[in-house]
Amino acid sequence: MRALSAATSAALLLLAVETAHAYPEFEQAIEKNAGRTIDCAFCHINPDGPEGTKVGQIGSLSPAEFQALNRARTAFEPGAQVESPILNAFGNHLVTVYGKKKIVALRADPLALAAGLGDSDLDGDGVSDAQELLDGTHPLMSHHGNPWRLLGVNLQRAWFELIMLVLATLFGVYGISHLIRWFGHEARSALGGDEESKDG
Amino acid sequence: MKTAGRTRRFVAFLAERFPAEKMSLQAMVQKKEVPVHRWSWAYYLGGLALFFFIIQIVTGLMMLFYYEPSVATAHASVENLTNNVPGGALIRNLHAWSSSAMILSVMLHLLTTFAMKAFGRPRELTWVSGVLLLFLVFGFGFTGYLLPWHQIAVNATKVGLGSIDAFGEYLPGALSDLPRQLRETIQGGATVGQATLSRFYAIHVIVLPLVSFGLLGLHLLSVQLHGMSPGVDKPTGRTEKFFPLFILKDLKVWGVVFLMLATVAICIPFDAFLDYPLAAPYNSLGSTPDGIKPEWYFFWMYYPLELLPFWLVAGGMAVLQVGLLLVPRIFRGTSRKVLKSLAAAAAIYLIVITLFGQAIYEMFSGGH
Repeated sequence: MRALSAATSAALLLLAVETAHAYPEFEQAIEKNAGRTIDCAFCHINPDGPEGTKVGQIGSLSPAEFQALNRARTAFEPGAQVESPILNAFGNHLVTVYGKKKIVALRADPLALAAGLGDSDLDGDGVSDAQELLDGTHPLMSHHGNPWRLLGVNLQRAWFELIMLVLATLFGVYGISHLIRWFGHEARSALGGDEESKDG
Repeated sequence: MKTAGRTRRFVAFLAERFPAEKMSLQAMVQKKEVPVHRWSWAYYLGGLALFFFIIQIVTGLMMLFYYEPSVATAHASVENLTNNVPGGALIRNLHAWSSSAMILSVMLHLLTTFAMKAFGRPRELTWVSGVLLLFLVFGFGFTGYLLPWHQIAVNATKVGLGSIDAFGEYLPGALSDLPRQLRETIQGGATVGQATLSRFYAIHVIVLPLVSFGLLGLHLLSVQLHGMSPGVDKPTGRTEKFFPLFILKDLKVWGVVFLMLATVAICIPFDAFLDYPLAAPYNSLGSTPDGIKPEWYFFWMYYPLELLPFWLVAGGMAVLQVGLLLVPRIFRGTSRKVLKSLAAAAAIYLIVITLFGQAIYEMFSGGH
């Protein structure tokens, strides 16, 4: 059993090294579910994925970063704190939560990736990472999210400022309404005075 | 003799549009009356557009302290403003949301002014200056869209400027190269780059505001000199004082609208409606992401351009622009009933193409 597990791990490691691209199944499933376009920057540093020589891609890594990459690639089980130089904070978080083995297995059911993320909210925008994954909005951009979800969250978060704003507006409108009434009264008085002086 | 006659007529025309005897605080403010009837709400739309313009100026000035008009740093400076500057996200959202609100209120103002036949003699110059302000507002939108220098900004600007080239196909001989030269003059080079950003920045923050101040001054002076048009065929005979009553009511409307605007700006980031790859920094070496489109207020001409032959849409736009400027002449004798029907048809078109333009496009282009 142990030998089988080791063999599986070794096979997965080989697979990961040889096919170092982002898993397109996740991207396709999220886009289909959310109706929004996403790219590899959802989990990776580089929007074009890990292959290549640009920033955040394997061809640009220093020896130290390669070591970090290999450490991340061997994080088969959940719980390992990884800092892969080709993944962004969300990508690394996924590896920590699920482990590499489970992530590879979830390619068959990509949206199930959201289920194990719990309440984590890496960008602190009030919408959980799991929900952002399902919505196709970026889990690391606090000003990016489903507009209506953000409306709900921010109405709760900024309730004090909003109440102050409403009160300020109400007081302003109340004051102006009184001014309007006062000017109307003055105008009528002036008109009455004119008529009286005419009569006189 | 002919010249003298023309000069006399021109002077008489100007004297009627800018009557010297009405150029006093008393005539323009204290004695001005605003008609009261069931279309009176439309009198607030111009003030509302002015209010959003003021918000644009104030928030735009605030953003100038942080924005860097360089292709290398523009996007980062906007990100810095949004993420690190206290209140920066709110100011940016206020600017973005109020720009859309300004364009919406200017369009509504134009439609209601048309429907109420408020362009009749002697208000022709009020109308013409208003139409020119509408063009300027679209200019603000087009130039401002590029400034964040993200994918959708640069690519949409490329598409917009690229459409100028298409005119070349319809011009004879050496003239056919003129549109390309015009485009390159606007963008400052063969492609959209630093020169384009510098030019659009200068146009957005200096040229257009200065021209707007001049035109707005003319527009408001004209409105104050001639007062609000009756607006309906059978005036109720009821009026209210422009100062202070109408001004105070205007302020109430501004207060309530600002509450709505601030709530939206606090709660919904404007960029949330974009797919995030479109808001990524522009990458000249990368592929163009899907979903490049102009802002919603250009949909009325964007989708026809996508679906119909270019010459047809371009011709239609030219006729529309000239037609708008000549409205006081073309519709001089048209009844308000007909004008209202035309305005309603235009409003329906704008609403349908803005809300369902994408669906219509997909339906007619086979989903591509």
